Amino acid sequence: MLARLITGLTSGAGYALVAVGVVLVFRSMRVLSLAQGEIGAFGFFVGLRWADRGIPGVRWHISPLLTLVVAVVVSMLVALVVERFVVRPLASRPPIDALIATLGVALFLALLEKEMFGTAAQFAPSPVGAWKIEVFDATLTAPRVVAFVVLVVVAVLTWALFTRTRFGLGVLATAGDPAVARVLGVRVRRVYRFAWIVAGALAGLAAALLGAAFGGIAPFDMTRFGLRALAGAVIGGLDSIPGAIVGSLAVGVLESVVGGTFEEPGTAELAVLVLVLGTLLVRPRGLLGTEGAT
Amino acid sequence: MKPSQILAPVAVAVALAWSLLLGDVKISVLVGVVAIAIVALGLDVLVAWVGELSIAHAAFFGIAAFTTVNVGDRGAPWPLAIVAAVAATALAATIAGLPSLRIRGLQVAITTLAFQVFAERYLFTRGDVTAAGRSLPRPAMLEGDVQLYLFALVCLALVLVLRHRIAVTKAARSFVAVREAESRAPCFGVRPGPTKLLAYALSGAIVGLGGAVFAMKAGSISAKEPFLLIESLQLVAIVVVGGRGSAAGIVTAAFLVKGVSQFVSSVPLVDARPDRVFPITSAALLVASIVAFPDGIGGIYRAAGRGADRLLGKGGARPDPRPQPVDPLGTARRGSTLLTVPRPLRLRMPVPALLRARDVVVEFGGLAALDRISLEVRRGEIVGLIGANGAGKSTFFNAVSGLVRASGSITFREVELVGRPAAERSALGIARTFQDVGLARSETVSTNMLLAQTWLVPTPAAGAILGFGRSAADERAVRHRAEIALELFGLQHLADVRLGDLPYGTARIVEIASAVASGPDLLLLDEASAGLAPEEAHALGDRLVALRDELGITLVVVEHHVPLVRRICDYAYCLESGAVVAEGEPAVVTEQPRVVASFLGRAHAATGGRVA
Repeated sequence: MLARLITGLTSGAGYALVAVGVVLVFRSMRVLSLAQGEIGAFGFFVGLRWADRGIPGVRWHISPLLTLVVAVVVSMLVALVVERFVVRPLASRPPIDALIATLGVALFLALLEKEMFGTAAQFAPSPVGAWKIEVFDATLTAPRVVAFVVLVVVAVLTWALFTRTRFGLGVLATAGDPAVARVLGVRVRRVYRFAWIVAGALAGLAAALLGAAFGGIAPFDMTRFGLRALAGAVIGGLDSIPGAIVGSLAVGVLESVVGGTFEEPGTAELAVLVLVLGTLLVRPRGLLGTEGAT
Repeated sequence: MKPSQILAPVAVAVALAWSLLLGDVKISVLVGVVAIAIVALGLDVLVAWVGELSIAHAAFFGIAAFTTVNVGDRGAPWPLAIVAAVAATALAATIAGLPSLRIRGLQVAITTLAFQVFAERYLFTRGDVTAAGRSLPRPAMLEGDVQLYLFALVCLALVLVLRHRIAVTKAARSFVAVREAESRAPCFGVRPGPTKLLAYALSGAIVGLGGAVFAMKAGSISAKEPFLLIESLQLVAIVVVGGRGSAAGIVTAAFLVKGVSQFVSSVPLVDARPDRVFPITSAALLVASIVAFPDGIGGIYRAAGRGADRLLGKGGARPDPRPQPVDPLGTARRGSTLLTVPRPLRLRMPVPALLRARDVVVEFGGLAALDRISLEVRRGEIVGLIGANGAGKSTFFNAVSGLVRASGSITFREVELVGRPAAERSALGIARTFQDVGLARSETVSTNMLLAQTWLVPTPAAGAILGFGRSAADERAVRHRAEIALELFGLQHLADVRLGDLPYGTARIVEIASAVASGPDLLLLDEASAGLAPEEAHALGDRLVALRDELGITLVVVEHHVPLVRRICDYAYCLESGAVVAEGEPAVVTEQPRVVASFLGRAHAATGGRVA
């Protein structure tokens, strides 16, 4: 039981990395992105491909560690493109349009992955080494430990960003009212770009670590994992980074404990659905969300 | 008849004839396309009318198909299997829609995504759900593929009729009210919760029919691929690429995404198998369409229709966006029609005060926006509410119309309003406008006129769609009232113009006209003259006086334009920090130093307070 709880915390950490990106984007632009998971997965797929078949032209096979780097860089670039050419033009439209657009991006990327890498799950060697540690009864593989450590670092950094830097305050001002923020001298576009770049990088990291933790990754997997991150973000309250972290960890633990306790397939998904519905029923704005933010 | 009205039926007939000339194999493919088109049309009910996105429609599709096979295999006659599928899917969609009662659109999309994943991992992994090993014997009369195709087309036609019924009845207006301004919908007599659930149920029922067609084609269902997440996303792509709200566009998109790929053996230029190229192209089109061309294929059709009209000289020029002069004699007789609105009889008024507020308090998080306000409006008066921004004028309107929780007492014709649901208050005879035009900007003027009268149709929305009660007569009545109100305000030439395309001043007059169309006894106007040029404001004043004199409507106006208040109001209240600080004749009230100070700032008070 304790072992499952700890394992669940580490997969929850992976979801939380995606969820923090979702919240960053939502906070700055009021856009709920369904594409985050698949953006990360796409980056990781490119990394895996280059590790497996070599970089096109130079036939140089990259090491597993570099798959992680490639995942982060490619995801950042994709996120930038999505921000500039898909989401930004939709700024003055109803929020559902941006939601549909990001959904389209997720669909496009997943199908592109399917086209380039096939339907079967790609084996994903751990980019951070094959070591393991024992915590209580749980045996944690390297990607799980790293995911958790990275999450702690991200939590501290975002906290510092929003409370200690001018730029962080600018992000907050933009979230409140982009027009006012612009008048106050905040470079709103830079804030948007920043949110997407960070979200893309986190998604790439999450995909690489989760893919390795689960042994492989297939097209659409990250939309499914992304759902858990989105569930975590919604439970925590869409505009709260601590909320997203707590919510995602809760989802990870619930999934691990329920999935491990019941033999039947799909009980973990049922539990996640019940958790999301239950939380929103009792508290529509989420655990730590602001009233009226959604 | 306009050329565009002839083009559509001709196009449909040509497509039909062409499809029937295809061989059996291709016709069987078309049956699948029709099933998907039906499902997409069901999804569109939610997306286009209610503005909510469901990512669970492939799961609903699966529930429908599996139910059909499960019921059919147990010996039930096939029509019963279809009915069962429709009912089960409507129920499933309604359950999946329950969260929308508590949370808003974006979060609802996530809960539907969670439902989709739950359905594919939990429901569809169970043998008793997925009808494993069961089969649906195809009925004798639908044995051939052509017969089945015709049957599928009948189902599609049924769905189109249903969508048309939604569009021309109260249901569409209720949906639009929820989509455009959920919090204000009660002012039109629309209760958002039941309205949303109705939309989910309708959407589910339509998907149920699509699923049944699919199941009858397949006979037995071995794979669950058509019901997975990717298909849910593709359904969204079909709806958006086809054009939200456009049935013709959506059917076309369904054919392009699901049909064409099976008709061609290879795709030119890229030389790849079509079933690999088409899905990804549809995803790219989805993104491109939502960014650059949100009206989709339906938009192209409409543009083509307009182009044909213009080419053949039948398209009208752009109408003058201003109200037109009205023939007073002609409208006099018709105008009185607006006054006959059924009211609960016990409301007959024994006292002169039409509206009386006593010690009304409205608090936002411990801060009193209204602090024990008491005021009175008598029948036949025009009462002005003045005061600086934040004084509580709009909050008072919200308290009267029930959009905020108030304590104290507000009586209208001696009926206590506090504690009464907002949606019931319109029927008592209260109508209102909003500071920022509280109508649907993306809809036409005439739709907006009907929107304000939603509560006047007594049949529930679901019943009205099916034609129960006196729905046809009711519908004629409200359309007639809308015409008269447009005529009264000289707006009839703008009936088919989108509200958002009108200048702000005209849009405000449309809002007043829509409120008048619902035949109120009391009309609350929030900053009616804001954004109007001086001469327009003067004309508006004349209209308001005429509303009172000729239609007997009592008015309460929130107004910043002091000359207008002095000209038209019989009585004025000045509010400051949620309390009444002065009342009396407008000319007197607006001269009081305290009012001038609160209204125009201390500097003006120092110069003697000349404001007019």
